Amino acid sequence: MDHHFILRVVAKMLMPPIMLYALYVQFHGDFGPGGGFQAGVIFAVAFILYGLVFGLDSLRRVVPPAIVRAGIALGTLLYAGTGIYSFFKGKNYLDYSALADADNPVAGQHLGILLVEAGVGLTVASVMIAVFVAFAARAPEIKDTDW
Amino acid sequence: MSPELAITLTILLPAAATLLLAVLDKRPNLREAVSLLTAGALFVIVLGLLQTVLDGAQPTAHWFDVLPGLSLAFEIEPLGMLFGVVAAGLWIVTALYSIGYMRGNNETNQTRFYICFAIAISAAMGIAFAANMFTLFIFYEVLTLSTYPLVAHKETDVARKGARTYLGILITTSIGFQLVAIVWTWVVAGTLDFEQGGILADKIDPTLLPFLLALYAFGIGKAALMPFHRWLPAAMVAPTPVSALLHAVAVVKAGVFTMLKVGVYIFGIDLLATTGAADWLMWVAAFSILAASIVAMTKDNLKARLAYSTISQLSYITLGMALATSLGVMGGAMHIAMHAMGKITLFMCAGAIYVATHKTEISDMDGLGRLMPFTYGAFFIGALSIIGLPPLGGAWSKWYLMLGAADAGQIIMMGVFMVSSLLNIAYLLPVVARGFFMGNTGPLAYSVGAAAVPSKGIQEAPLWCVVPPCLTAIGCLLLFFYAGDIYTLIEPVAFPEGTSQP
Amino acid sequence: MLSSLSAHMPVLQVIVLLIAAPLCALFGNRHLAWTIAFIAALAAFVISTFLLGSVLDGSVISYHLGGWAPPWGIEYRIDAANAFVLFIVSLIGVLVLPYARQSIEREFEASTHTYFYTCYLLCLTGLLGVAATGDAFNVFVFLEISSLATYALVAFGAKRDKRALTAAYNYLIMGTIGATFFVIGIGFLYMVTGTLNMADLAVRLAEVGDTRVTRVAFVFILVGMGLKLAMFPLHLWLPNAYSYAPSAITAFLAATATKVALYVLLRFTFTVFQFDFPVQELTFEYVVMPLALVAMFAASIAAVFQKDVKRLLAYSSVAQVGYMLLGVALLTEAGLTAGIIHLFNHAVTKGALFLAVGCFVYQIGSSRLGDLKGIGKTMPWTTAALTAGGLSLIGVPLTVGFISKWYLIQASLETGSLWIAGLIVASSLIAVVYVWRIVEVAYLEPAPEGRKAKEAPLSMILPTYALVAASLYFGINSELTSSAASQAAKALYSATDLAVPPMQLTPSDPPSEGAVQ
Repeated sequence: MDHHFILRVVAKMLMPPIMLYALYVQFHGDFGPGGGFQAGVIFAVAFILYGLVFGLDSLRRVVPPAIVRAGIALGTLLYAGTGIYSFFKGKNYLDYSALADADNPVAGQHLGILLVEAGVGLTVASVMIAVFVAFAARAPEIKDTDW
Repeated sequence: MSPELAITLTILLPAAATLLLAVLDKRPNLREAVSLLTAGALFVIVLGLLQTVLDGAQPTAHWFDVLPGLSLAFEIEPLGMLFGVVAAGLWIVTALYSIGYMRGNNETNQTRFYICFAIAISAAMGIAFAANMFTLFIFYEVLTLSTYPLVAHKETDVARKGARTYLGILITTSIGFQLVAIVWTWVVAGTLDFEQGGILADKIDPTLLPFLLALYAFGIGKAALMPFHRWLPAAMVAPTPVSALLHAVAVVKAGVFTMLKVGVYIFGIDLLATTGAADWLMWVAAFSILAASIVAMTKDNLKARLAYSTISQLSYITLGMALATSLGVMGGAMHIAMHAMGKITLFMCAGAIYVATHKTEISDMDGLGRLMPFTYGAFFIGALSIIGLPPLGGAWSKWYLMLGAADAGQIIMMGVFMVSSLLNIAYLLPVVARGFFMGNTGPLAYSVGAAAVPSKGIQEAPLWCVVPPCLTAIGCLLLFFYAGDIYTLIEPVAFPEGTSQP
Repeated sequence: MLSSLSAHMPVLQVIVLLIAAPLCALFGNRHLAWTIAFIAALAAFVISTFLLGSVLDGSVISYHLGGWAPPWGIEYRIDAANAFVLFIVSLIGVLVLPYARQSIEREFEASTHTYFYTCYLLCLTGLLGVAATGDAFNVFVFLEISSLATYALVAFGAKRDKRALTAAYNYLIMGTIGATFFVIGIGFLYMVTGTLNMADLAVRLAEVGDTRVTRVAFVFILVGMGLKLAMFPLHLWLPNAYSYAPSAITAFLAATATKVALYVLLRFTFTVFQFDFPVQELTFEYVVMPLALVAMFAASIAAVFQKDVKRLLAYSSVAQVGYMLLGVALLTEAGLTAGIIHLFNHAVTKGALFLAVGCFVYQIGSSRLGDLKGIGKTMPWTTAALTAGGLSLIGVPLTVGFISKWYLIQASLETGSLWIAGLIVASSLIAVVYVWRIVEVAYLEPAPEGRKAKEAPLSMILPTYALVAASLYFGINSELTSSAASQAAKALYSATDLAVPPMQLTPSDPPSEGAVQ
């Protein structure tokens, strides 16, 4: 695998910035283009890059399929659960103003969007990783040594 | 018991008996006993209702609403009472006979047979006592479906094909024509209740009346009006008790009964008379009578001959309704009872012959009369009733039908009745004549079936197969003398207040 | 807590299932997943019954998502029309689950069962959401949720028959095209009115008037939904999808997916567009009606020649959708009632039929007619259920099929078209042919040697008979379905319910100033 040396080094260097950028996009969705969907994809790109360069088995060690499954489920639950929380405060479903005190509904909206977008981001990232693994796990037609 | 409860019981009792019958599959004697007891109980209840109706009452029962404005309801009027008595009474006879036949022939699936029988009678009672056309249609369909397994009983290829024709024609006519007619009536008249004088007067453009009547007439496939008559001969593949049930008691009588009800209570005889809406039906019925009789003459298979005879006789009743006169209705109603009694005799005799000798073709039956005098004697009496000769009951119904034709000024129809009687003689009496007067003499000239009961040179069918037709033959005779009672029963229907009586 | 929860019924109808779905996938245990799924589906059914009971008198329930008042926010709006649809969809949803638990044991690997339940719940969520919502774009969102889940569910049948994969893919392509047409139509509506709330759209569209955009929008929505409800000739995905999907899924889809799509079409036609536009009358009279008639005959005749019972029933479904469209295309309130009541009756009948066929597949592994010879003797209960469903399909009295036929014939005779009534009965007679083929083969043919076919297990027989019992009960006492259908027709036919102040179940505070957009 020596002829992949440059790729491996560069990939390892790039992965943290990619994830950071994903987080930036995630939280920036309030004020500009961004939000959970885009951030989730970018976050997954980091892992996909890792999988492409270091192999599917390494990726599976880093992100076991059970974790991916849990990520998909938990993200959706986070979104739906935020709405359920509003019930306990006597408001309608997904009424974010229930998340803060009654005199500061803007803070409630802020927190609400943050939470649901986090849920979306988590789910989307997990789904992208799962899709990648599903396709990549099919039997290869070209061996690695024939590159 | 209250009349309401009685009506409900007449329908639910046989239906409930089916559960018992299903359970008693492995105990044939008990099963047969349940069958007979139910038949007996039903007849007793119906007789009780008869008394109530003769006293002038019209008992009703209301079950529930199926659609808004359309309910499952019952009301007994004289026509329905007549049909009910005929059906309940002859069920006992058929039940007795089936026991003999099924055991004599060692048939399979006997429990299924008795269960379907019971459901069929329940449906027939529902048809008889229906208070509106909706209820009648529901039970009409139940009757079709419950008799299908009876026709397909033997499960051979031939049986399957016959059953398919049976179901195909009956369902096609009922869904294709009758249902449309019923909904049409509902839409224009706003009601489907049977009412004296009809419910269609002033509700529908008179030029549409013949068309509506056509939908009804051809939709009532069980009345075997040509060209939708093929199911009758096709159903001959069934065992003979089924033929007795189909051709005397339940199915065909339900058909012509429905025809009469539609004519009297939906259209109203006066409306038919004044608009002439039924004129075309007269001609179709007349054609049916003659054509079926002629075909009957060509058939060598005894049951087939009797089947075509039935088609012809049913059209008598249709013609009686189409004449649109009170006497025609009276004649038609009487013929329900007379023909039932006569035809069931003939069919049961045919079955007895089959059980004793395994013969089905008339040309094979020469000289059999001397070996089976009781069977052939009953056949002779039944034949005379169908032909319409006194002192048998059929004479009266034919008399009134001809009077009805005269009343309507239809000389040709009178001629049709008379020619038909001649044709009846031509296809029924030869059977008797050949049985008694032809063939080799001597008791050992024939090989007879294992079920035959040898006794001093007479090889009759088992007792349970011979006694019922003899009973009904006596019934034909009795009906001659009791025709007056039938007249009194039907009088309020045929001659409502305000019309003159002869 | 419970009383305050009742105020949130409309949204709970949808989100109970939405929350249960990922829970099923979270834990790896398929028995736990089934339990979660069943409890959620049962809760959804109870909620739908409650909702139906509340709106049968003609009132309307309105729920504001997120506390935002319409038309800024998404509104869930329940009236008699969609409460009826919610009822039947959730009923089927809960009945099929115990059945599915047993039947999928023999259809694909146990390791994927949790995903099956997840997809099932997501599909149910989507269908119920489509029916419950009062926002046009929300309809599209839930439609896509249910459709995507459906494609996956159909593909689950690949273990038994590899053609399920192509069928699912075909369905995916066609379904997406349909959804795209639909969303383009919605886009046009938004373009000219600036709102997505259906009640508000009705008012604004009336102001916009009859322009080319509104006409095109209507046609796009008709085509899009027409594909989803398998209107002839947009039905081509249906036979394959129904034949190769797992048995429980076929029953579930046959009873729900097309019905919800029909509801959406009705909702847009009557409540949003309100029949103010000549294009609607023309389309229904000259396009939908002839297509419905063709569907009734062509599909029934196609069914007669099928050798596989599932495929036969699939074609029969296309014909039955034709009946529903015929009722609607009569353009009278009676016709609309007939179409809606047939929606319910057909769901019950086809559900029962496909569940019975699934029992056959479970026991003998095949649904081909040739393999079902003489099966009436060894599997009497299943065959009896199949026969009862078949009788309902024909329209024998005392079954729900008869009720539908009665209403349809009555509605067509009331408009004076005797020939349409004649066509309805003529196509019913074709149904007699294909139903009786099955009955004859099952009862009257001799059974082949060496076939092991015991009666299906109780967990599969009971749901089947629940639906058979429903088809008989509502055929004998049609009071509930008749009143619900006529109320639904009335609700759709009357002008937009802004005249009737909708019943607000929740005290929702209006969003205060400066709220985040």
